[in-house]
Amino acid sequence: MHLKVTNLVKFYNKKDPLIESLNFSVEKGEIVSFLGESGVGKTTFLKCISGLENINSGSIVLNNKTLNDKDLFVRPQDRKIGFVFQDYPLFPHLNLRDNIIFNLEKKYIKNLEYMLSLTNLSSLVDRFPHELSGGEQQRACIARALIREPDLLLLDEPFSNLDVAIKHSIRDEIYQIIKTTKTTTILVTHDINDSLNIADKILVFKAGKLQQYSDPVEMYCKPANCYCARILGSINKYEKDGEPYYIRPEKINIVEESDIKLVVEKSLFQGKEYNVTAKYGQENWNLFSSTPFKKDEVICVSFEKEDLIYFPPNCLNYF
Amino acid sequence: MEIIKKIVQIEHKRWIIGSSLIALFLLLPIIFLFSNIFEIEQSSFVYLWKNLLLDYSFNTFYLIAITSLFALLFGIFPAWYVSNYKFKFRVFFDIALFLPLAIPTYIMAFTYSDLLSYTGPLQSYLRNNYPDFSNIFNNDYLQIEILGILLGLALYPYVYTASRVSFSLIGSTYINMSKNLGLSSTKLFFKVIIPLSKPAIFSGLFLVIMEVLNEYGAVKYFGVNTYTTGIFRAWFSMGNENTAIQLACLLIFLVFIILFIEKLSHKKSKFYYSANSKIEKLSTPTSNKYLYIYSLCSLPFILGFLIPFFYILNNSILNFKNIDFSRLFELSLNSIQVSTISTVLIIIIALLFLYVEKISKLKLSTFISQVTSLGYVIPGAVIGLGVILLFTKIPMLSSYSLVGSFYVLIYAYVFRFLAVGKSPIKSSLEKQPESFDDTAKTLGLGPFKILQKIHFPINRLALITAFIVTFVDLLKELPITLILRPFNFDTLATQTYEFAIEEMMVESSSYSLAIILIGSVMLVFLKYIINKQINAS
Repeated sequence: MHLKVTNLVKFYNKKDPLIESLNFSVEKGEIVSFLGESGVGKTTFLKCISGLENINSGSIVLNNKTLNDKDLFVRPQDRKIGFVFQDYPLFPHLNLRDNIIFNLEKKYIKNLEYMLSLTNLSSLVDRFPHELSGGEQQRACIARALIREPDLLLLDEPFSNLDVAIKHSIRDEIYQIIKTTKTTTILVTHDINDSLNIADKILVFKAGKLQQYSDPVEMYCKPANCYCARILGSINKYEKDGEPYYIRPEKINIVEESDIKLVVEKSLFQGKEYNVTAKYGQENWNLFSSTPFKKDEVICVSFEKEDLIYFPPNCLNYF
Repeated sequence: MEIIKKIVQIEHKRWIIGSSLIALFLLLPIIFLFSNIFEIEQSSFVYLWKNLLLDYSFNTFYLIAITSLFALLFGIFPAWYVSNYKFKFRVFFDIALFLPLAIPTYIMAFTYSDLLSYTGPLQSYLRNNYPDFSNIFNNDYLQIEILGILLGLALYPYVYTASRVSFSLIGSTYINMSKNLGLSSTKLFFKVIIPLSKPAIFSGLFLVIMEVLNEYGAVKYFGVNTYTTGIFRAWFSMGNENTAIQLACLLIFLVFIILFIEKLSHKKSKFYYSANSKIEKLSTPTSNKYLYIYSLCSLPFILGFLIPFFYILNNSILNFKNIDFSRLFELSLNSIQVSTISTVLIIIIALLFLYVEKISKLKLSTFISQVTSLGYVIPGAVIGLGVILLFTKIPMLSSYSLVGSFYVLIYAYVFRFLAVGKSPIKSSLEKQPESFDDTAKTLGLGPFKILQKIHFPINRLALITAFIVTFVDLLKELPITLILRPFNFDTLATQTYEFAIEEMMVESSSYSLAIILIGSVMLVFLKYIINKQINAS
């Protein structure tokens, strides 16, 4: 194990802990996405790992070295962890080169040219932060973190301040940089697409607890509970033999004839296909279609039995 | 055990303990002053209550009211015109309207009382050329109302600067929206701009009120009895230490009430300037408006700077042959020396308090930082009194005979002007995101290195601003210097005052001129920095 977090507890108010007994581990070179809604404690988690916050109990071990437990607290500057913050904090009084080599040990200076070319910043080294675009600032922060060959890279909502138009290309670039340098990375995000596209594993976090920790395919197809199922995309409730089952929209086929009939509410064009919202009894369903339907039109659908996911009846009320 | 464990776990302990000890040391005079009030005999209080208090209170409040009214009139309208309209000499007025800050209030008072006196140039000219009219102007001008107007002229730049920044940052969105809703430019000003700028205007006015309470030279010259002159009179003329202490404590109490009202006004009208909301395009005034603009922008500058400056310059030229240049040089050097040493100390201590507040995130550090700012709202005479009591009554300190030494003078300066130096640094530090500190920590920097390598260079403009405003204030300082200066030590301010109080206006002019020139040069540079910051925000 490269990173091992055991029974991590963090609270500001003892009665209402932000993180309750978190356990997970990360293999070397893996990208793990820490997925959760706003205010769930994602940034606090990163601060605990990096040493900017002390934990209340539990332990953090990185590269066989304990960083934090009940007796030991390794200072952030001694942890070999790179942290890329959400707001791209490049120091305004330093140009790009000086930002990247800021407080850098001599042994890492040799990495500068490689890092600049990897992040495609070679021609911008003399520019100051205010002369760089959001994407360039983002890449500069990543270069500053990676140049010192960290044992772990922490990315806090790295794409949330970028325009949608450039977000995808920057996400791909960053993925390539991380994979090229084989850096173990934890990416905190609330955007499911970021997680699905670049993470080797996804950790879903809710109500202070780990809900599921697995690879994206398993997470999508076999969610541990209905919260995990919902957070990775919409699901449709289907009652069978008095038990609640759920089915993903893309698993639903529109057919000529079937027992399952839906009444169309609306069809929204989404470029490749239409996203159809329809009523099934009292439930609202979502599915995809290559052709649009009119409101109140009745359509027949079918799906494979093995694509149905079962959760206990009170699952949705739990979260 | 749990508490001890918690204390041991607190980060940056050395920084917190160090700043707490410095704060305690700075607050000693005021703590000592208040502790003495309980030892005072009742008869002294009865005497104060029966004979002096009503007169002191009425004069103080009346003077505050007149000064405030004129500071608002001279400050707000020009600030709006300069912020919102395009007109010839706009940039010149923006700097010129700031310049009266270079003229100490007591020099303003001495100059105008001389100018308006029976033997002064105005009345002499009228007597010689228009003898029939001359009697109309033959009045006693040493009145509290005239003093209020003169203080208003000297102090309006506080209101002007605060309003100017606020008007510039309110931005085009509100202005365009108001125009769209059908508001005329007058209604826009009174119904939108003024209400939105109320906190800023009040913070400028608060400084004006504090300066009036602190005022000694001008009120003494005009013979107006206020709390501050009362403290001097009780302590130095009547030798009545008890009355002086009571008055000082009363004055602090009054200041706290005003401070409380100021905080309350901020709470009630919280308003955040939206990002990138500067006034995009300056309006072109109508031809009628030009008259208002030029009159309202020229009047405070001419009366508040140009007339006193040229009058003093003229006196200096007339007296050129008699100027003792070696004395002038010596006093300039004295003023610059004590102001520079004190300012550097103030900046270091202010930065320390603010940085500890930032990194420790403890309520204690915030409290320490705030309580040490109280020096600015406590009049110089009160601080002087507290310092003398501290260094003469406590046996451990009195044995060193420190009263009358540079150390004590600088100590009092640091406490009195700490808030002045702190204010620009504080607002600049607050603008830096916390992620700067967090990033620097993860990149391997300790607290001292973060201060040295990140905050020091990033906040350098704020540090220069803090240096200039503190230096100029110290250059003009009078009451503390009069009380605590070493024997046979004079500054430009004390020399100006001593000549003026003896009606030797011509002799005082070269020293006044030196204060104004040094102050003006620094303020022009400061205005350049402030405008740069407004444009960059």
